[in-house]
Amino acid sequence: MNPRILTTALIGLIGLIIAMVPENTTKQFQLTASELIDEMEEGSEYIHPDELAEWLINKDPSIQLIDIRTPIEFEKFHLDNAINIPLSQLLKDEWVDYLNQGVKMNILYSNGNTLAHDSWMILRQFGYDNNYVLQGGLNYWTETILNPTSPPPHSPNDELAKYEFRKGASGYFGGSTVSKTQTTNKKTTKPKIKRRKKKKAPSGGC
Amino acid sequence: MGPLVPNEIIGSGWDFLIAFVIGISFGFILERAGFSSSRKLAGVFYGYDAVVLKVFFTAAITAMLGLLYFSLFDWINLDLVYVNPTYLGSAVVGGVIMGLGFIIGGYCPGTSVCAASIGKVDAMIFIGGAFIGSFIFAELYPLIKPFFMSGFMGYIKISDFFGISGGVFALMVIIAAAMMFWGAEWAEKQFPREEY
Repeated sequence: MNPRILTTALIGLIGLIIAMVPENTTKQFQLTASELIDEMEEGSEYIHPDELAEWLINKDPSIQLIDIRTPIEFEKFHLDNAINIPLSQLLKDEWVDYLNQGVKMNILYSNGNTLAHDSWMILRQFGYDNNYVLQGGLNYWTETILNPTSPPPHSPNDELAKYEFRKGASGYFGGSTVSKTQTTNKKTTKPKIKRRKKKKAPSGGC
Repeated sequence: MGPLVPNEIIGSGWDFLIAFVIGISFGFILERAGFSSSRKLAGVFYGYDAVVLKVFFTAAITAMLGLLYFSLFDWINLDLVYVNPTYLGSAVVGGVIMGLGFIIGGYCPGTSVCAASIGKVDAMIFIGGAFIGSFIFAELYPLIKPFFMSGFMGYIKISDFFGISGGVFALMVIIAAAMMFWGAEWAEKQFPREEY
């Protein structure tokens, strides 16, 4: 056979194959394992409940709380203005705009530490920047903010000050009456997406 | 794994050196393929020589299939590959100007440098013209800017615009290329030139 026809047919076949196979939509990890370990050692992904309480009281608009528990648990109780992205749906496309953006500071929480932190790890490996973890999760939140225990009487001053703050915060967040608070599911607006600029490559030409 | 530089498998300090090596190789191969001849380049327009069309389309198809298959095998993350932004208005006008320059001068910017480096005087004049053109463009930029920025469509690919997969679009490009190659060879027979 004519080699030119053969080549054309071969390239046509290669093209046909690529047209038939589904596109690869796997998300690739951006961080190597060792880079991730470095970040974890630093521990800067954790937000202490005290910090979060202060931001929420000040109505900091840059905070986006993300509840990664199941919708049922979310319905029972969730922090004010939190959105529900159940762990099982974390990788769905519809949430990418929330999770991968440079405007709001996402604070992930679950009941304890583990699930939220694991989610953070996955998101971090995709190279998403603005995600944090509520330290100790809702359990620790309840323990420190909603039902603070008074420190022993001769504690240092800052311990007492912290307790005073927590007592105040507890009142603000309606402490001890956890079970029947906040059932309204406020619609939060989608954050304006500011994509990180891709690296500019020098443009080509002939 | 890839792209290598954004993923820092190759440090970002290396990219200029790599660009330099690729650029030199590109120029060398252009020259060896005869692209430093303005008659050969203008031949695409007059129909007597379609080598330029064939070479560039073959290169495009090779790169396109390579990227698609690499992406399929997880060797490259296409989301990290830079896509030139599309400004439709200036792309159309720029294309027409580039095409006219191509026919009149017999070079495109890359091949002109290539030909000048082997000492062709017409290519040197062509480069001079390119500098004059750039100067005029820069001076008129405030006037042109509204048009220059018009029709912004983002960092979009044709396949995304039409909502088809990259693979289907690739197949369409291959079919189109095969038809063009066939048409170009037909034209070569129609408008032959003895010597150029």
